[in-house]
Amino acid sequence: MAETGTWWALLVAPAMLLGFAAAALAADAALDARNAGRPITVSTVVRPFLAVPRAVLAQPRRLPASDRLLWRAGVITVPVAAVLSTLVIPFGDHVVADLSVGVVWFNAMEVLTWAGLWLAGWGPNAAFSLVGGYRFLAQGLAYELPLMFALISAATGAQSLRVTDIAGAQHGLWYAVWMPFAFVVYLAGVLAFSFLGPFAYPAGRDVAEGVLGETSGVDRLLLEAGRWLWLAAGAAMAVPLFLGGGAGPGLPPWAWSLVKTLLVLAALVWTLRRLPMVRADRYVELAWVVLLPLSVLQTLVPALTDLSL
Amino acid sequence: MGLTAVLIRAAALRPRVLLVTMPGGTGVRLAAETELRSRDWPSAPTPAGADLMLVAGPDCSRLGPALDRLWQDMPRPCVRVRAVTADEVAPVLDAGRTRLGAPGGEPGEPDGSVGMNGHGSAEPESAGRPDGEPARAHREEQTEGEHDVRGVTGHEEGEHDHDGHPGHGHGDMEMPGGLAMAEPGEDRDGLTLDRLHVALGPFLADWPAGLTIRVVLQGDVIQRADLDEPAVGRPGDPFWSRPWIRAASGEPVGVGEAARLRAAAHLDSLGRLLSVAGWPAEAVTARRLRDDLLDGAPASAVLPRVERFARRVGRSRTLYWLTRGIGPLSAVDARAAGVTGPAVRAAGGDVPARYRQWLTDAVGDVRRMNATARLDPVAQESPRGRWDAERPPSAALATLLPRLLVGAELGAARLVVASLDPDPDELAVGRLEAAGG
Repeated sequence: MAETGTWWALLVAPAMLLGFAAAALAADAALDARNAGRPITVSTVVRPFLAVPRAVLAQPRRLPASDRLLWRAGVITVPVAAVLSTLVIPFGDHVVADLSVGVVWFNAMEVLTWAGLWLAGWGPNAAFSLVGGYRFLAQGLAYELPLMFALISAATGAQSLRVTDIAGAQHGLWYAVWMPFAFVVYLAGVLAFSFLGPFAYPAGRDVAEGVLGETSGVDRLLLEAGRWLWLAAGAAMAVPLFLGGGAGPGLPPWAWSLVKTLLVLAALVWTLRRLPMVRADRYVELAWVVLLPLSVLQTLVPALTDLSL
Repeated sequence: MGLTAVLIRAAALRPRVLLVTMPGGTGVRLAAETELRSRDWPSAPTPAGADLMLVAGPDCSRLGPALDRLWQDMPRPCVRVRAVTADEVAPVLDAGRTRLGAPGGEPGEPDGSVGMNGHGSAEPESAGRPDGEPARAHREEQTEGEHDVRGVTGHEEGEHDHDGHPGHGHGDMEMPGGLAMAEPGEDRDGLTLDRLHVALGPFLADWPAGLTIRVVLQGDVIQRADLDEPAVGRPGDPFWSRPWIRAASGEPVGVGEAARLRAAAHLDSLGRLLSVAGWPAEAVTARRLRDDLLDGAPASAVLPRVERFARRVGRSRTLYWLTRGIGPLSAVDARAAGVTGPAVRAAGGDVPARYRQWLTDAVGDVRRMNATARLDPVAQESPRGRWDAERPPSAALATLLPRLLVGAELGAARLVVASLDPDPDELAVGRLEAAGG
């Protein structure tokens, strides 16, 4: 059902991801302004993007005994993995690469950020940065397995790892409706791998921004962009996995994909400021004692349904 | 070249500010926080992420080297300005931005063109790295602010003596990058892990200005913590205790005025705690309320907002779940250490007990803001406890810190410090009184 392989899709997918990420950042800036009592104007939502000229202008800092190569590799990995993850995400009828193991591809790209952030924390040879790196690993231990089971729940329901199959298998009944727990765990996972808001633990202000703390210029821009690109990619992936993809009455599929992605993104941005930063030492306990068993149970629901059909 | 000039001007529209508060600079810090918030200039917690450094408060020669290291650690182009009084903050920020947006940036040329109203509120600083060579080994001793993977070569014991050079500590061994290797040691589980010696403060973001705690870290767990003498260059004038000091010297001070300042002080502490706890939205709310109180907003206007804030934060189950059990301090221990303020009254004695006590006290104080009775400095508590010039309440809080920090993870340690929030300016008063007899 989905068209694949058109050459221009390869250019459009990253551009759209960038657009969604920019929209999320602008919405966040508007909420920030409201909270701080500033008037919300056009300039309010444009101002965060002034970080781009700043980053281009900044001269590189040289730190003693830093691991330049690994640091740079880690910093680049985060946004690049986010962009690559979109290859398998269908938008309306279009998808860049309709892999038979699309869900695994998305998950693999997301796990690349583990390596990326760890290296980004390790590279500068600074204590707080290194702590930030550790923190992402601890956070990863907590969020990753429940997230994987959430992905598997959707895949089990459709009996396919192909993302377009999963979107197509939800005839009128979204997986978000009959697998609500998997949906919530998935959204929490999105916030966790974009290390934003309640999951900003690796870049927490208590460790002076952790993995971000020593970065400047383009390095910082790449990591910051990586966070918002991952948030956008996660929101876009939620649509085919849990919200029926481009299906919907009246509008063309691309419009439904657009509307659904923006709604998920809005919900995620709204959540960012509602909760304090979740400390991984507490979250690991919750994740392994409560979330993981419940995720397994949630996966059993579609599995048993499949068997009984 | 034209494009570069446009980029420079665009980037300077929203500088990221490294706000460095000097001892005694609380009033200037408050003005700067308000100004940055209304201008939407983000505050950067590290020099790496900043392009404008604002030094708030009076000069302090002891902290000069630490300031210079922060300055050297900022990526160029950058600008450094100083505001000695609260009124200077806005013009100094404007001047800094103008310099940041000047095309060309006059690399290597100190420009002193921004001196504000006479007394050097904008420090002439070069906008470019003077010799093009980024300070090679400054990192080895740099610290004060944030990070310091300083190696340990057996000199660390001596270096805990504050010799007037915060963060000073070279190893003898020549190592790649001018750094010595970390030395392994047994951790609490009997594993051998590297020990990192890190100084927390004096200029850490959301940290009591001027307080320095030297810690030994294994992973992110604190094995040892030592409190440095606070760096003070002049008689302390603790902003939050002024009404009590005035009342103690016989001046008539109203209870309402004192209650207003106490509520603002608690909200300031709460803003810091919430920021450290990673809840920036509520931290902004706390700071806005604080600023409105200090601006003299009527109680009737502020009370509902303070109550709403107290409900949201005080009843947040997530915040409670994330902070409970951290920094346990029983009332008996606290009293034995000489603590008299909210930290003693907080039933249960962990971080949530303390922030809830602040919230309760703040709401009560806002209700009491219209009282007209005269302040009795002994009967009425100052924000951090009963005011005593010889042993100010913050002194007791500060002495408790090392004990509470050992064994805590770094994030938990930050919460403990923020939940007690000793005011280093009060410590200065105590020391001066003691020295003067």
